[in-house]
Amino acid sequence: MTTTMDRRSLLTRAALGATGLVAASAMGSLAPEAAFAAQSPDAGQPDPNFAEGVITGRNQDLLQVQGSDGRLHRIQLTGVTSVWKLRPTTIDQARIGDGLYARGVLLPDGILAAEAIWVNIVNLTVAITAIGRNGVQFDHHGQKVVGHVQSGTTAAVYNGTPAVSDLSMLKVGRHAQVIGAWRPGTNEIDIATIYTSN
Amino acid sequence: MGTLAAAQPLLIGLLLLWSSYGKFADPKQAERTALPRLVGETRAITAYRGVAGIEALVALGLLLPPVWTVEALAAVALAAGFTGFLIYSKIVVPEASCGCMKASARPVGARAIARALLLLATAVMAATATTGWWSAGAGVLVLVVEAAAFAMLSAELDRYWLLPLRRFRIGLSHPYAGTASDDTPLAATQRRVLLSPAYRAVDGLLRSDIHDYWDDEDWRFVSYAARYDGRRATAVFAVPHRDSTPESIRVAVVDEEGLTLYRPTVLAAVG
Repeated sequence: MTTTMDRRSLLTRAALGATGLVAASAMGSLAPEAAFAAQSPDAGQPDPNFAEGVITGRNQDLLQVQGSDGRLHRIQLTGVTSVWKLRPTTIDQARIGDGLYARGVLLPDGILAAEAIWVNIVNLTVAITAIGRNGVQFDHHGQKVVGHVQSGTTAAVYNGTPAVSDLSMLKVGRHAQVIGAWRPGTNEIDIATIYTSN
Repeated sequence: MGTLAAAQPLLIGLLLLWSSYGKFADPKQAERTALPRLVGETRAITAYRGVAGIEALVALGLLLPPVWTVEALAAVALAAGFTGFLIYSKIVVPEASCGCMKASARPVGARAIARALLLLATAVMAATATTGWWSAGAGVLVLVVEAAAFAMLSAELDRYWLLPLRRFRIGLSHPYAGTASDDTPLAATQRRVLLSPAYRAVDGLLRSDIHDYWDDEDWRFVSYAARYDGRRATAVFAVPHRDSTPESIRVAVVDEEGLTLYRPTVLAAVG
């Protein structure tokens, strides 16, 4: 934890310009083309640098993932992998039974070195059918889905204005788009952001 | 009891007409029901139309004179058929919709089956009638209660009474009335970052989604894994809470040792 704190304070000072620049000559390599020159997947082929599926096994930070198309993936998490599970979190939060999307670099040995993973993420278009203290009930094309509000995380976007934590403008009967984290094996999600009108 | 039984054909007739109209108006609904599984893909729509036709015939028979018990018996058979079909579809094709009254993607549930059972019960009662509904007198008043029961069991009608009721209830006291706070949700920060010139300056270097975020005094910081000159690095954005202009967002790219590799100075100069 100390190292996280140290790293944060270092990054804080860097972002605010309190530290000196090194490598002033580095401007030359900044052309976006250089970054995008990396291999792009062949048309019609699965993107080798992407994987999705359900985590079926975990050995330290190496995940075994069964894709929905039946393919098996091995995904290596590292300290720099960004992990989303309702919110940006740490790699230990990826559990067996969770679904995930992973993006990274496919190593020669067939392991995907993940740069970013999104755990249990769902994107639903719904209608709000009920609002109660223990959740918001959605109708997702005829399927009932219960959305849980996580204090401090759940945000709402009304009419495309900036996200706020105020959920008191949610209305029964309105359509909404919900980004959230699915609770595996249930019809329940935790709501990250709900986009609706007021 | 006599007048009560005599009144039932009026309700059953109107319900079947509504149901029949719904099926004729949108026969494509058949695809969402368990019919394709029961009679085959190609015959589903024909079967659906057939049921609608039978419903209309039985309905007209019940509504118009003369009073024949066989009409009520046909309604009993129809209602029993509906109940059986709904239970079949709940067991065999759980995701299938009812296709009963009106377009609805909702799967068959306990309410749809309860409604079919209620229809069956009214049809059985109607079979004991000896006079027409036009001579039922006060018995017709009971139909108001029955019709209300049918409406409450009809998921298709929820939006006309259940949702307004819930809206009214939430208008009195909203369960999430206390959620407003001054804290900026991460989603708001992320959107500001994505729309900033600072993000455009380093977009091609970023390799991950948000890796970490924290608040420090008037700023929120958001970090991403990045690559710079083939080296691993971290891109960190500083987003001021008070200044909402896109130009106020700053960014620095820092390597593993903590050295700042890149900081677009034009952007930083604004702050």
